[in-house]
Amino acid sequence: MVRRGGPLSKSYDRNKKLIAAFLAIVFLFVVGHFIVPNFLSLNQILITVKLASFIALFSLCQMIVMAAGGAGLDLSVGYTATMTAIFTASIMNGRNENLWLAILVALGFGLAVGFSNGFLSAYLKLPSLVVTLAMSQILQGIINVYTAGALITGKPSPVLQIVAAKSTGTFPNIIFLLILVTAVVMVLLYRTKWGATLFGVGENETAAYLSGVNTRRVRTIAFIMSGTLASLIGLLLLGNMGVAFKDMGSDYVLPSIAAAVVGGVSLSGGDGNYIGVILGAILLQALLNLLVALGWGDAGKWVGFGIVLYALLAAYVSNRRGR
Amino acid sequence: MVKILEAKGIKKRFGGVVALSNGNLSAQTGQITGLLGANGSGKSTMSKIIAGVYSADAGEVIYDRKVVHYANPHEARSNGIAMVYQNLSLVANLTVWQNIVLGAEEKRGLLLDDRQSRELSREIVEQLLPGLDIRRTIDSLSPGEMQIVEIAKAISKRPRLLILDEPTAALELAQVKSLFSHMRNLAAQGIAIVFTSHRLWEVMEICDDTVVFRNGENVAQVDLNRDGRDPEKIISHITGETARTRQKTTLRAANTGASVLKVSNLGYGTVLRNVSFDLKKGEILGIGGLAEQGQRELMLALAGYYPETSGEVELEGRRIRLSHPAAAVRNRILLVPGDRESEGLFLRHSIFSNIVFPRLGARGHPLFTPFSKYKEECRKTIDTLTIRTAGLDMPVRTLSGGNQQKVVVGKWLSFDTKVLLLSDPAKGVDVGAKRDLYDYITRRVREDAMSVILYASDNEELVDFCDRVMIMYEGQIVATLEGEAINADRIIESSMHVGNRQEDR
Amino acid sequence: MKPTNTRRLASLVSMVVRPEYSSLLILVVMVAIAAALQRNFFQGPSLLLTIDAFGPLILLTMGQAVVMVTGLFDLSSGAALSLYTCILTYVMRTDQPATGIAAILITFVAAVAVGIINGFGAGYLRVSPVVVTFATSFLWLGIGLFLRPTPGGQSVNWFNAFYDLRNVDGMPSFLKSVSSVVPPVLILILVGCLFWYFLSKARTGRYLYAVGGNEESAYRSGIDTARVQIIAYVINSVFIFLAALFFVGQNQSGDARFGDPFTLRTIASAVVGGIALTGGRGSIFFAIVGALIINLVNKIIFFANIPYAYGTLVAGVIVIVAIGGAQLYSAYGKRAASKGRVQR
Repeated sequence: MVRRGGPLSKSYDRNKKLIAAFLAIVFLFVVGHFIVPNFLSLNQILITVKLASFIALFSLCQMIVMAAGGAGLDLSVGYTATMTAIFTASIMNGRNENLWLAILVALGFGLAVGFSNGFLSAYLKLPSLVVTLAMSQILQGIINVYTAGALITGKPSPVLQIVAAKSTGTFPNIIFLLILVTAVVMVLLYRTKWGATLFGVGENETAAYLSGVNTRRVRTIAFIMSGTLASLIGLLLLGNMGVAFKDMGSDYVLPSIAAAVVGGVSLSGGDGNYIGVILGAILLQALLNLLVALGWGDAGKWVGFGIVLYALLAAYVSNRRGR
Repeated sequence: MVKILEAKGIKKRFGGVVALSNGNLSAQTGQITGLLGANGSGKSTMSKIIAGVYSADAGEVIYDRKVVHYANPHEARSNGIAMVYQNLSLVANLTVWQNIVLGAEEKRGLLLDDRQSRELSREIVEQLLPGLDIRRTIDSLSPGEMQIVEIAKAISKRPRLLILDEPTAALELAQVKSLFSHMRNLAAQGIAIVFTSHRLWEVMEICDDTVVFRNGENVAQVDLNRDGRDPEKIISHITGETARTRQKTTLRAANTGASVLKVSNLGYGTVLRNVSFDLKKGEILGIGGLAEQGQRELMLALAGYYPETSGEVELEGRRIRLSHPAAAVRNRILLVPGDRESEGLFLRHSIFSNIVFPRLGARGHPLFTPFSKYKEECRKTIDTLTIRTAGLDMPVRTLSGGNQQKVVVGKWLSFDTKVLLLSDPAKGVDVGAKRDLYDYITRRVREDAMSVILYASDNEELVDFCDRVMIMYEGQIVATLEGEAINADRIIESSMHVGNRQEDR
Repeated sequence: MKPTNTRRLASLVSMVVRPEYSSLLILVVMVAIAAALQRNFFQGPSLLLTIDAFGPLILLTMGQAVVMVTGLFDLSSGAALSLYTCILTYVMRTDQPATGIAAILITFVAAVAVGIINGFGAGYLRVSPVVVTFATSFLWLGIGLFLRPTPGGQSVNWFNAFYDLRNVDGMPSFLKSVSSVVPPVLILILVGCLFWYFLSKARTGRYLYAVGGNEESAYRSGIDTARVQIIAYVINSVFIFLAALFFVGQNQSGDARFGDPFTLRTIASAVVGGIALTGGRGSIFFAIVGALIINLVNKIIFFANIPYAYGTLVAGVIVIVAIGGAQLYSAYGKRAASKGRVQR
């Protein structure tokens, strides 16, 4: 085909979505400003970003699994985090000595969950949505059994609380963690062979396979990373809340997927930009704050998210029949 | 003879890419018009606009003396324009007859009249492929049979203008001839036919006139009946270069006689049976035969795609197991797959990412990708293969078919290739790119004593480039041709092989 | 020419290993086990209870099967079910029998709207069906919570007709005795079956399979694929609506989170019943078999005395085993059949 006009470069396309997300956030804050006093204050913005950080971390799990292709999604991240939080709470019991043990346990859980998800999705070729949904039910069941008749006890170690809940001055510490994670992620995904392999497998599994990649292993590892990350986030959730309870993580699942989609991660795999995902998380959190400020409560929260995700999916899906 | 179609000044762009800048095409009742042009020349877009799949940005389509503007293929079809697609429009789990009437089923009131539909289908199928059971599901048919069903589907609507978009790509010679005779019947009944193919001999044989597209516009219109059939002139229209005599590459490789790949009793289900051969170093070994006799599968098997293959493979005297493509790559048996879009490319990724990808899996590869070193190498690769592109970061899907194929070959360039497996590398590739590719391959064979196994669906490629040609039939090698025996006639004759075997019916 | 003997053998093999016929076998085995565990399994009153317990999942599975055959998924089934119970109990007033009619009409319209919204997203907007229905499931949850923040609500007395005619005041006694033999839910299922039977003989029925088999091909053949997909979701929605009628008739209340566990089980049931995850294959009637099997598994577990707390856990495991098993089974069958053919 004859090509005229500006080059349709990949980076231009990607930046366009980032700019759109950023503008949407600004728009939301401005609208919020007229509805709620102090909405546009530094304090409020920082709180929004802090809460969004948790979503953004869960979205990292989604992004890795989505990038690996095959319509990958991980719906078990919520209960994985919850399970870890509940079990490690009694291990740590409010002290730092057992933090390392708690981390080990978290890694173990995450590995087990992720491996199961990966095996069923990549080797048995079951749709990951159904697999991870069933897995989340299983985890929920395990939690039910464990907590049946017994109260959930335990508290996070102070280190966790400092990282997750406290701030340095006005700056919440979790944001520092997020920045650190982002830096590591960007490097790993875009500068290393692992990232390139992951995106290749997601973009065209057959082509990657014929180039000598063990694609099933790559996809399983993606789920393992997701599960492990989710599990570690459970520690952070525990640190943030101070106690563990049964529904700690489940409210994060939908927003984590929504933030990834908003951030431009393709559902079919092969691409994704974590900065966009973070912006997406902030956007969604700002939206949530707005809804809460409007007094719409629980029902409104879900309706709002559902509509936003639906609308964004509609806007972003590009395989519309071109005429 | 009436001019039933005239398309003038058609323009069409997709996003930032201009597919057609000045498309013209006309068709007469009772005539077969050939549509020629390289990939990306706009001929496919032209067909699709006429069939209602796309709408033109500018220009006029005059059909049956009226200016028309169809919003979808259904509209075009109900006006008598039917198109047979390259990518079939069949539904695998439905039966032959259900597919033929799909979208236009016979009805009785609110309910379907399946008996009527079956009657209709049976009539048409009997003419095209007698003996085909219309109750079979599509997924049980061979690609050639599927193509016939696709054609039956188009004909069942009794079109006045029939557009065939590369219908012969998956057909065996006998089926092509049969299709041609049916096309002549249709033309005799007054139907206008537009026929696209990459195989020049087909166009020469069946078409009354031909239109050549290049770079989004048509550059020549040749009345074959009146002006004769001169392939050289047509080729020069397609490539845009001055006519040159076709070089028959008579070079024969630096054949050292040493065995580089010895395959013994390779088997995979019933698709590959007892395949044995000995590839010499510096040799170009061709694989020919009718379509779908196991050639593709042989290439994939040698690339390690089928872990359950039986038999033995020896590389330079050493026994190897090809249980995974990684094993093949490690042993430097490298595959250029038959379907580049689904098997060889990361369409949305950049040229750079595509070319660099296989290297990342090498043992001992550093964790951090050395970008500047690789970019330099990529630029050299692009030069060596003359890949035409605006830059390394362009997504591969913006390239034409020929350039895409060069990228697929290019990713193995930096490897010290022992055996290069080429699975129909020139399929759907324009003449210029094809020449570039084969120039490169023959040079590597000559200079580096690289060994090549070449499967080509076009017999001329086998004749031009191969030292030996193995003919496959039903998963087995039934003949090996050498030297002067490598010519089109002998290849065709061996492909139809029955020999001493009984016909099992 | 290809050897037809090999091809004949291959197609025979692929027919025998079709999941549908094996699911019937599994059903028979399950019924035998259940009857062994529960002594009075086949006796009138307990059989009635069984049918009443199984009925809703059957209805839901039939709906999900329609959607899956069309190549789509509906992850908002459970949430939609909950929503309909909330709407019904929101509109009805116990002391005004006429509100029951209004409730049915309004909820029906809502069900059609739900189907259209799902179908529009998947069909016109071309969003992946799993993600779109995942998103809309929260929409239904939110609306349900809005109408019914806590479980409860009102229902009219004659609504019991959907569950058990004997509970309805003023019902003639011969009808009541009919109800002791043929539970209303069975009638709902039969209505569903009849509807599907006629649908499959019409163009739309064929088109569901065509779009599910290969959407691109269907589009090229002139089929309005978006419309077909919307129709599939609307049909599913109506089946869910029928199940909601049953539940409100049974429980007289609505609950916004009530339906959550059902979603996954409908998919598992459909898959066990032979509906292909990729679409284009399967029969609604065999989907009923699948629902029966899943229900029986739960029943068997109950009779094997597993404590309640393990309920969710076991349910999740069952789903994975069911889908995994069906997938392995059909993959094995496909491999055996295709060894004789060209493989891509």
